[in-house]
Amino acid sequence: MPEPGPRPAPGPPSGLGSPSGPGSPAAPEARDELARAQAELLAALVAGGETPAGFDEERLRIQASSLIAKRRGQVARLRPDLVRALGGDFAAEFAAYARGRPKPPGGSRADARDFAEGLRAAGRIPGDPDPEPSPRPGWWSRLVRRRGR
Amino acid sequence: MAERLGVGIGWRPEIDLTVERLPGIGFVEVIAENIRPDRLPESLRVLRARGVPVIPHGVGLGVGGAEPPDPARLAHLAACAEALGAPLVSEHLAFVRAGGLEAGHLLPVPRTRRALGVVIENVRRAQDALDVPLALENVAALFGWPEDEMTEAAFLGELVAATGVKLLIDVANLYTNQVNLGLSAVEALDGLPLQELAYVHVAGGHAHDGVWHDTHTAHVPGDVLAILSELCARVDPPGVLLEWDDRYPSDEELEAELGRIRGAMARA
Repeated sequence: MPEPGPRPAPGPPSGLGSPSGPGSPAAPEARDELARAQAELLAALVAGGETPAGFDEERLRIQASSLIAKRRGQVARLRPDLVRALGGDFAAEFAAYARGRPKPPGGSRADARDFAEGLRAAGRIPGDPDPEPSPRPGWWSRLVRRRGR
Repeated sequence: MAERLGVGIGWRPEIDLTVERLPGIGFVEVIAENIRPDRLPESLRVLRARGVPVIPHGVGLGVGGAEPPDPARLAHLAACAEALGAPLVSEHLAFVRAGGLEAGHLLPVPRTRRALGVVIENVRRAQDALDVPLALENVAALFGWPEDEMTEAAFLGELVAATGVKLLIDVANLYTNQVNLGLSAVEALDGLPLQELAYVHVAGGHAHDGVWHDTHTAHVPGDVLAILSELCARVDPPGVLLEWDDRYPSDEELEAELGRIRGAMARA
């Protein structure tokens, strides 16, 4: 799955109000209980929190690794220069950076920036400023690719 | 039954020209968070001009979260649907954030009666903000909640009954949960209200240490196609869509993959 992107800017007003009402509200305690349970679980998965009671520890470890692998893939796509610079150490370096450290607000771009800053601070990569991340294929690349057919 | 969509593919910017060239594409999906409704990618405008339905597929709403769905995210989905003239919007039965942290992924909801009440309310709020029907997708899980008291099919069934929400059934996710959690995909199909099916997702993944990872980066395994055949034996799905998110194969391979999907549908 592609990552949930940054919070979108509010779009134009649209689609407010279908006839169905809000229905009988869920008990407020049910929301609080769910909020607590999900927050504890997520903290265990991405922020080094303790495993909540009753969960399969090994499965949560696999899930946590899988979340890090997904972040790593997204950072690798944004910063191929870091992949080249670290070579075979990229995965281990990223895991060391990401374990117990949640994805920062700002999504994968912020994640890539924080990872690169840590590498620079540790002297693993030279102190050059971040290159602009490679842009998504836009109209220009589309034109070039069409012509190149 | 919902609008006929046919066989489709997830539109991604990296394969935009490929998607335009693939023969017989009945519909596409676009990740809603990756587009701006006022600046649609040209490729999507090309597809729309040809009459190909484009469905906004959200990944960040978290309708299974404890917080009510974010009105700004809902407004974005509504605006995407309007800009694309979409027949529906799809999202996931999942939570994606909690306690100020982002998961960056779709995580399963505890399947309890109390959680169901919260999700029903969230879904109703989402439906109120959208002009088109909402379909919710079953997610792939690597773990279960200790307090789970209902099957996923029963949970989705009650959600459908209470809200009228449509279903997006991901057969690769059913397979994932069968491998990882021992939950029978065929039993899930038997328990789901398939008459409310909007469309189906199919994807490939990788096995690693006995765990199936639904990566959307590989050919669809035969076991997943077999589940698709099982589904088609129970209901004629309005649409079936291939998800491929990275490490894209050649155009020919993608075309062949869609052919395998059509074959599995015909085997039902």
